[in-house]
Amino acid sequence: MKKHTITAILCAAVALIAAAIAGTSFLEARKQTPIVKGPGVSEIKMLSDWFPGLKGSPGDTEVYILRGAKPGASMLVLGGTHPNEPSGHLAAVMLIERAQLPSGTLYVIPRANASGFTHNDAQEGAPQKFTIQTPAGPRVFRYGSRATNPIHQWPDPNVYIHASSGQTLSGSETRNLNRGYPGRPDGTLTERICYGIVQLIKQENITITVDLHEASPEYPVINAIVAHPKAMSLASDTVLGLEMQDIAIRLEPSPVNLRGLTHRELGDFTDTLPVLMETANASQGRLRGRTDEALVLTGKDKWYVRAARLGRLYVPYDEKGHPLDERVGRHLAGIQELAFSWTLSHEDQPLEFEGLPSYDDLMTDGLGAWLNPPSAPQS
Amino acid sequence: MSPEFLLFILMVGVFAAGCFLLKWPVAASMLVAATAGALAGGLQDPIRHLVEGTFGYVDTILTIATAMMFMMGFRDSGALEALTAVVVKRFHKVPSLLMILLTLVIMVPGMITGSSTASVLTAGAVVAPMFFVMGMSKVDAGALISLAAILGMIAPPVNIPVMIIGGGIDMPYVGFEIPLLLLTIPLAIVFALWFGWRKVRGVDQAKVVESLDFSTLQQYGAIKLFAPIVVVLVLMVLEKAFPRVLSLGMPLIFLLGTALTWIAGKRFDILQSARKAMEDALPVLGILVGVGMLIQVMTATGVRGFIVVNALSVPQELLLVMIAISIPLFGAISAFGAASVLGVPFMLALLGRDQIITAASLSLIAALGDFMPPTALAAIFAAKVVGIEKYGTILKKLLVPALLIIAVALTFILFSRQIRALY
Repeated sequence: MKKHTITAILCAAVALIAAAIAGTSFLEARKQTPIVKGPGVSEIKMLSDWFPGLKGSPGDTEVYILRGAKPGASMLVLGGTHPNEPSGHLAAVMLIERAQLPSGTLYVIPRANASGFTHNDAQEGAPQKFTIQTPAGPRVFRYGSRATNPIHQWPDPNVYIHASSGQTLSGSETRNLNRGYPGRPDGTLTERICYGIVQLIKQENITITVDLHEASPEYPVINAIVAHPKAMSLASDTVLGLEMQDIAIRLEPSPVNLRGLTHRELGDFTDTLPVLMETANASQGRLRGRTDEALVLTGKDKWYVRAARLGRLYVPYDEKGHPLDERVGRHLAGIQELAFSWTLSHEDQPLEFEGLPSYDDLMTDGLGAWLNPPSAPQS
Repeated sequence: MSPEFLLFILMVGVFAAGCFLLKWPVAASMLVAATAGALAGGLQDPIRHLVEGTFGYVDTILTIATAMMFMMGFRDSGALEALTAVVVKRFHKVPSLLMILLTLVIMVPGMITGSSTASVLTAGAVVAPMFFVMGMSKVDAGALISLAAILGMIAPPVNIPVMIIGGGIDMPYVGFEIPLLLLTIPLAIVFALWFGWRKVRGVDQAKVVESLDFSTLQQYGAIKLFAPIVVVLVLMVLEKAFPRVLSLGMPLIFLLGTALTWIAGKRFDILQSARKAMEDALPVLGILVGVGMLIQVMTATGVRGFIVVNALSVPQELLLVMIAISIPLFGAISAFGAASVLGVPFMLALLGRDQIITAASLSLIAALGDFMPPTALAAIFAAKVVGIEKYGTILKKLLVPALLIIAVALTFILFSRQIRALY
């Protein structure tokens, strides 16, 4: 056998072995990590119950319903719109596992883009999962991608054209859930998920919709609430309430010319009051150093500390980082304050939460102390 | 000395040793460098990272492979030679105008697709023989094709680096047409005259016309012979104009064009032609795969953050200098990567200026990444279409134009508000 033929066979064998090892880990990422149903959950449905076009597709996802003891207003919380922004997903999980409602109804979608949880963004070097220690043992959660898995929606066009406005964006934004609203029943998988969420909001007359996100520390809209004009009054009261708890947060109006996002389109196309909340996540930024589970959990990053000293960031950043406990705490405090502000001005339509940890509780005890044990009945 | 700096040195060292000492292919050197970085950096699942990194270029690889097949088929069918004869005969009396028109023609596929590779491998390949018969050297022709291709990639309507930068700061792709035209068209005219007209004005064009071969054209007719290139360009335009009706994607468009070349002109062995195209493309496709692995490992180990934060560490008054140096250098990995990794942080650091003009200018500098070895997509493919073995000779010719491009882009950033006030 010629020398180059042997080399070719060896290279092919090595490539096959590498493909098998990597392929196994990619397949593993498609298995959902369990969410442990809490005492407040009345019912678990699927998004396809509101839009059957999603049934059996990778975009179909669980909707947890927590009905209060008394009727009242309703709130929809979207976690995992971007699965590389873990505080949104974890805050939604915490609502499912801990929240109980004296009044009103809460709908929680912890994996709004379920497909995005099944892969990582190429060339971002992200971990596939992260582990939180609870008193009863470790709980594993997926760290996913900002976008729908190309296995489920491919190829991207060169340019993404937002269906209802004609706005153009980079082609990869075609798979970004928060650029596809209000969605289309016959559109791409991502647009159909958006459409399904809009149908849920319309059919259930959702009063308030909260979309939970994170942003890189160098991004100007961070530690902020972005509100549609019709939700601005509610958001203003919420910001005041959070400031009284010593949680600094900015209020940003939803830009009129940036289309496809929840805080713009859900306000324009439905009756809900949409707000979007952002916390500071180093593991998705461009300035970050080593990218691993520790960065996701602690937010400690020496390059961000240096960038802060250079005045390049929009949040304070020091050696303590911004741990996941803090980021989830901010989201949960924001959600509770939104409900409180609403109830203050709408006593006939209350929305009340109980059982959730406060921001200080999470900063003191950590997330693990408040998550359900992994051995409890799972959904 | 930070561990990230040591890792960076290790990866560059392994890559250089593989390329220059051991004479391995560039792609193989990148694979070994990335593997060394992953192991030394202590990544938990190095194989997953190496494989995952390659997926960033799947679409680009498909486009390049099919575009190469189309170019080879168009040449083997005799259409390339015939098209050269027709165009040169019609415009040979006004070479300056011809040069400008041909440069703009090379830009068109890049303007439509946002890819400099598409420009080089389609219009660039078609125009190259015209440059030769008019008296341009292969090196000059290659340099002009490369320049026109990256200007086409930046010119409107489609500019992917601007979209990437805009995506990083939530700025929609709106209002960029005029600044992008101001940035690209004057430069295209300058380069057309610089490389083209200056070199061909002394050539007796009447004699050139006499030497042209019209036999293939007479045998098959212009309509049939040129149908493949017309169909490819029409499909690209239709896809842009009616994206909701027609969405074939560039690889499929090129495959359709390749099939047409087989029936439009001289008969040729299409499998042989496609195999030759893949052989030519394979080294570049390998480089893209290697680059994907390197970026993934650099990001996971923190080397990317080290590079970006150091680039941002200069005083504000030196920021433009750092932009001029670091973005093209990072383009060695990829122009789009440079727009994402460095373009966005620099854009954020320049938020006080006019955002549209600044983002457009940064995208022009990012496009220079397509000249930067080892990827150097525009230069490598230009060398292939003009028939030069080593693309380094073209790169030397591109040095001064690249500096001019950087100077123009920085001027636009400096005077962004004033320029915006002009229109």
